[in-house]
Amino acid sequence: MNVHNEIQHLKSGEVNLGTSIMAVQFAGGVIIGADSRTTTGSYIANRVTDKLTHVHDLIYCCRSGSAADTQAIADMVHYYLQMYTQSAGERPSVQVAASLFQKLCYENKDALSAGIIVAGWDKEVGPSVYNIPVGGGMFRQPWAIGGSGSTYVYGYCDSTYREGWGRDETIEFVKNTLALAMSRDGSSGGVIRMCVITEDGVERLFVPGNELPKFWEGKDLPGLVRLAKGTDIVPMAVEV
Amino acid sequence: MEILSYLNACGGHRLLTRIPPSFDMSVPSVHLASGFDFSNQIRNNFLAERGIPLPKATSTGTTIVGCLFKDGIVLGADTRATEGDIVADKNCEKIHYITENIRCCGAGTAADTEFTTAMISSNMELHALWTGRKPRVVTAMTMLKQTLFKYQGQIGAALVLGGVDSAGPHLFTIHPHGSTDKLPFVTMGSGSLAAMAVFESGWKPNMDRAEALQLVKDAIFAGIFNDLGSGSNVDACIITATSTEMLRNVEMPNQRAEKENKYEFKRGTTAWKKEEVRSLITSEQVTLIGVGDESMDTS
Amino acid sequence: MFDVQSVAHQGPQSRQFNPYTENGGTILAIAGADFSVIAGDTRQSEGYSIQTRYAPKVFQLTDKAVLAVNGFSADGKMFVKKVKQRLEWYRHAHAKDMPIRSIARLIQTMLYSRRFFPYYVYNILGGIEDDGTGSVYSFDPVGSYEREACRAAGAAQSLVQPFLDNQVYYKNQTAGQDESFPTHLPLPSVLKLVVDAFTSATERHIEVGDGLEIYVVLKRDSTAIQSMEGVQEVTTSEEGQRVFYIRRELKKD
Repeated sequence: MNVHNEIQHLKSGEVNLGTSIMAVQFAGGVIIGADSRTTTGSYIANRVTDKLTHVHDLIYCCRSGSAADTQAIADMVHYYLQMYTQSAGERPSVQVAASLFQKLCYENKDALSAGIIVAGWDKEVGPSVYNIPVGGGMFRQPWAIGGSGSTYVYGYCDSTYREGWGRDETIEFVKNTLALAMSRDGSSGGVIRMCVITEDGVERLFVPGNELPKFWEGKDLPGLVRLAKGTDIVPMAVEV
Repeated sequence: MEILSYLNACGGHRLLTRIPPSFDMSVPSVHLASGFDFSNQIRNNFLAERGIPLPKATSTGTTIVGCLFKDGIVLGADTRATEGDIVADKNCEKIHYITENIRCCGAGTAADTEFTTAMISSNMELHALWTGRKPRVVTAMTMLKQTLFKYQGQIGAALVLGGVDSAGPHLFTIHPHGSTDKLPFVTMGSGSLAAMAVFESGWKPNMDRAEALQLVKDAIFAGIFNDLGSGSNVDACIITATSTEMLRNVEMPNQRAEKENKYEFKRGTTAWKKEEVRSLITSEQVTLIGVGDESMDTS
Repeated sequence: MFDVQSVAHQGPQSRQFNPYTENGGTILAIAGADFSVIAGDTRQSEGYSIQTRYAPKVFQLTDKAVLAVNGFSADGKMFVKKVKQRLEWYRHAHAKDMPIRSIARLIQTMLYSRRFFPYYVYNILGGIEDDGTGSVYSFDPVGSYEREACRAAGAAQSLVQPFLDNQVYYKNQTAGQDESFPTHLPLPSVLKLVVDAFTSATERHIEVGDGLEIYVVLKRDSTAIQSMEGVQEVTTSEEGQRVFYIRRELKKD
């Protein structure tokens, strides 16, 4: 996904989900995760945003791009899936949900900036993850990352991901990937929100901003002045 | 001159000139094209390029806030409305009525905030009548976001929506493009950064009524005194499950100092070129005919 | 593909560093028969933010001249510094203060010397002429100037100048029969007008407020006595005219 397209595409003053989002499938279900930062320019309009949006009982989406566009799309899909459930008499598959997102994103591509990952569990195929990048394509993947922060962590994901992980290993993978993306991308940050979606339901996980996994953060600069303990620091005199 | 008269001919209004989807280009079609028509935007951009920008709308360069507390929601707003760097209204009302238990603070283009909130207020009343239920805050929020999204940011309304309903207290921000956030404390408008600084340092869960009101006042004060777009007085509104209190001008920290002089002009100060006195009374002569002999037939 | 299309659509763009900003505020000066009043608010702003609530815009140059500067405050500071330096040089060369009409001409040449990279400031100079009359000179940023009886400049010029025209020049007022308007107002009336001009501008202009500084340059033998509170004499020598300083608070919203 081309991040520059996404940013250039935003209307001026529009609220942006300059985001790090992710979804990974494992044997029993899917883990989805996102940072919590919403920005307007350089101002953080919301530091505890929930970008993991419910569209059906066992189907969620991760939103990136314009907040207004992705909320409107998710609301519409949520409505369609409720109608589908009533008329079909059964739960929709993740593929059905993803196709609805894909249709809306493709047919209105000139008016939208939305990069969405749809993930969930259904009885046809079990867990599945669909990536719907800006432009309205639809790709089923074992794992997907998205948003402006994702560009920093493709290498990490490619080298780290292994098939056959269990629930806890997958959670660690998602948590670590998002923490790395958030540390490099200024438009991502805050806390990590995750959901574990299995046949049995949805479990929410929360990692506070001060408990994010830590990686290499650099050493102190050589020659950095360290004041001896008890040194008096006198503020500069201010002319009034 | 040409451009001026062109502007006047259009009356400065948004004309919905439809583009006919004609098959035979020589004959204009009577059918209307579907969807929105933004062709006037081309005209407006052209005029702006030629140095005739659109008339500036009154904007409420504003500080508006909302805060969750133990028993409900406190909303707050300053009362300054500006046109560029001139103060257009020193004591305007920015907390709008939606329903008895829901209120909405507006920042951005004054006309847009007033009309959208009035429209949603009206639709909420009808919705309550239709469903026979007490209105809910999410309903108003959904109506507002769908309206604003439809207009793709052209309606410049930035809102703080708050209220208490059957599901408890709710507080939302709604941005002009139609995105919403649900948070325990929110600020919007040009003074939002100053006000948010107060909330980020002072907000705590489960405050009582007095604490919450004081925090909201402090947040608005921060906007009034540090943001040039905000000023004058503080309005507040406290909504709980049982009552809604509109506290108009709870704080008035910016009363005008008394003038040093009296500026009364003596009679005759204004010059005039001619004097003409006209009688505005219509007088008619009434002559009665055939009175007294027979009474009128009124059967 | 999006990039190429959208850039091509917008056409070429050029960018340049803009060395100027506008820092708001308003200044004014009124000349009387044997005095001159020069005033300015003390708010300095950029956009919707207040940079400081106390940044003086009015400066005493000599015991007979006071200069008010408004516009881009960095240029204003530098300009006043350079004018003061030139006046100091003049004192060393001639053992006296420069006459106010000469200061006015000096300011003109200093402004025009930067014709193609101007000081972005509007200057108003007030003081006492050699003949003992009160005077006000107003300048544009590149040095055009004239002597006047009253002038407002800055953010609220469009609010204050019409008020002054009406109250000082009696514009749009006709005198009653056997009456006439005075050619010069007395000092107490002028001070009241100045305070009212600033409290009113503060009410309706977002960039005006915080504080008001008024300087009065009074002919040494003048009998006009100020009855205003907080008047402070700031005269520096025995020979020049007398200079007074008054400070008032303005609204801070």
